[in-house]
Amino acid sequence: MPAVTRRILAVAAVATAAVLSTVVFQMARGADAEKSGPALSAEDQTCLGCHGQEGMSKTFGKGEPLSLHVDGQAFAASVHGPMGCVACHSDVDLSKHPGSEKSYASARAFSIAKAGVCSQCHEDKAKLFAGSIHASVLREGNLAAPVCTDCHGAHAVVRGAAEKDIPCRKCHQAIYNAYLESPHGKALGKPGPMKAPVCADCHRAHDVSPASTSTGLRHVCLNCHKDALQAHQKWLPNTKLHLQVVSCPACHAPTSRKRVDLRLYDLTTKRDVTANEEQVRLHGSRSLNATGGTPLDSKTLSDLIRGVDRDRAPGKITLVGRLEVRNGVEAHELTEKSKAIRDCVVCHRKGAAPFKDVTISIVGPDGRPIRYEAQPDVLHGPRSVDAISGFYAIGGTRIGLLDVLLALALLAGISAPIAHLVLRRLLRKNRAAQQNSRAGGK
Amino acid sequence: MQKLYVHPLPVRIWHWINALGFVLLILSGMQIRYADAIHLMSFATAVQTHNVLGGVLILNYFVWLLFYLFTDKIRVYHPELNPAKQFRGSLRQLWYYGYGIFKGQPNPHHLSVYHKFNPLQSMTYQIVMILLVPMQFYTGVLLWDVNRFAASIQMFGGVRVVDTVHVVLFIFFIGFIFIHPYLASLGHTSLAHFKAMITGYEEVDDDSGRGQRR
Repeated sequence: MPAVTRRILAVAAVATAAVLSTVVFQMARGADAEKSGPALSAEDQTCLGCHGQEGMSKTFGKGEPLSLHVDGQAFAASVHGPMGCVACHSDVDLSKHPGSEKSYASARAFSIAKAGVCSQCHEDKAKLFAGSIHASVLREGNLAAPVCTDCHGAHAVVRGAAEKDIPCRKCHQAIYNAYLESPHGKALGKPGPMKAPVCADCHRAHDVSPASTSTGLRHVCLNCHKDALQAHQKWLPNTKLHLQVVSCPACHAPTSRKRVDLRLYDLTTKRDVTANEEQVRLHGSRSLNATGGTPLDSKTLSDLIRGVDRDRAPGKITLVGRLEVRNGVEAHELTEKSKAIRDCVVCHRKGAAPFKDVTISIVGPDGRPIRYEAQPDVLHGPRSVDAISGFYAIGGTRIGLLDVLLALALLAGISAPIAHLVLRRLLRKNRAAQQNSRAGGK
Repeated sequence: MQKLYVHPLPVRIWHWINALGFVLLILSGMQIRYADAIHLMSFATAVQTHNVLGGVLILNYFVWLLFYLFTDKIRVYHPELNPAKQFRGSLRQLWYYGYGIFKGQPNPHHLSVYHKFNPLQSMTYQIVMILLVPMQFYTGVLLWDVNRFAASIQMFGGVRVVDTVHVVLFIFFIGFIFIHPYLASLGHTSLAHFKAMITGYEEVDDDSGRGQRR
């Protein structure tokens, strides 16, 4: 065979092999894409040609990897499958992809930025989220705060999955463990007259607010436990007041440690004083800083109230209180109602444990309480009559000075008649003599 | 000695219900406030007892009030409008209790149907019955249902103010409950005034109650 012919055959063979390999490769890609489901468009399958490959990743910052792999099947089955990749990734310029994307400091920063796209369609949820404690924490720069994709996933979003999987536990594991041991957790997934509540049922899914401010989540408990008021009224005096100033877990998590949280409260607007209005003034002009990290005492507290009152009608700001448990884990250590605290004397006695831990809180700009430690004596001093006019537990927070007055009244009430009687007896003869002489004189 | 009818039946009924009620209110009140130190009854029983007795005594107060409002016996509560006279009378009575009684001097007060209280008593009871007792009842009612009366409580400066007033009056009545029966024992016999509060008749010297018989 002439050399020219051999060369032609060799080139043809290489070309054929190249064409065949390309065809085979394309067929293989096509088969992969086929696995992703018929719902995906050709464009999506093109994306998955690369992103469908296991192990595809990108590195950020100091070599931190982020998987770019997308499970095509899962995406196709997700609620977003019909919308295709471009619905969320419209920022990708295919003519320059890959390589033209904006750079991020970390994989987490990338994920948070990408999650922002959800708000394009889910504007209502995004608004709710923006007012949540999670968004507040995120705005403060805490990248661990959850965004949409942390709870719902990025590409395999399925309706109801977030509720079923309880993604909150990823960050709040200790609370979740306590919840699992509670009657709510034990009823999870079991048949019953009511569905067992999961996190979002009480704390809400998107507009999650701090549970420990104001009256906490009392209304949430009462939403399901509609007969709670009547049930408590059977044995608990001043029931409405108790339900208002004692958080449900304080009694229904009997082993929990309690504390009294006093909140600055505006009697005119009937709202908690927020840091937006007052905190700057408090810090700037009053004694919170001056306490130098020591717990607030009665005098400082009275000065504080007067300081807040300064620009308002006097007596319009006070401290109202609430008995609550010390942390979120203990708030979830709920028990059957038969084990709940019913002994009034747990609180209504001198030296009761709940009144040994006192905090003063102001609602911060993001809704979270800004707490200051206070000396337990603030509940028992004479100044409390003025400063803490909105919180009082009979016996438990009684004013010591009145006990002294009572002792004096008892002493005087008993000793004065006895002393008078004894003196009369001692002077009996003298008295009789004088009476006789007076009678004789007449 | 002659007998004067100075304690009409409604007053006696009111008095003894009030006396028993006061003692029980003080005991249940002590139990409520000092549950850590006193164990007469459970806290819940004490609260319930206190609430019921409070209600009974409020109704009982109206027996007293309506009786005096609608009879001429209200004259026993008429205040002495001459402050100098009131002051002199009170001082004289105090002097008697603090000195004269030991010397065998006679009680400067001469009891009659419309002057059954000595000047000191008269002033004290006007304050007690028209100011302190109603104030104690009122603060008690406010504390009985703090939520229902939240507006009134706020008007008075908060639950601690109301409670402090209630407790200060409670302390006063504790002193009163000891002093009152002792002073009542200072009649011409130790039991004379006690008997009178049962029968209605006080025994007075013949020249004291002239023209005052019923």
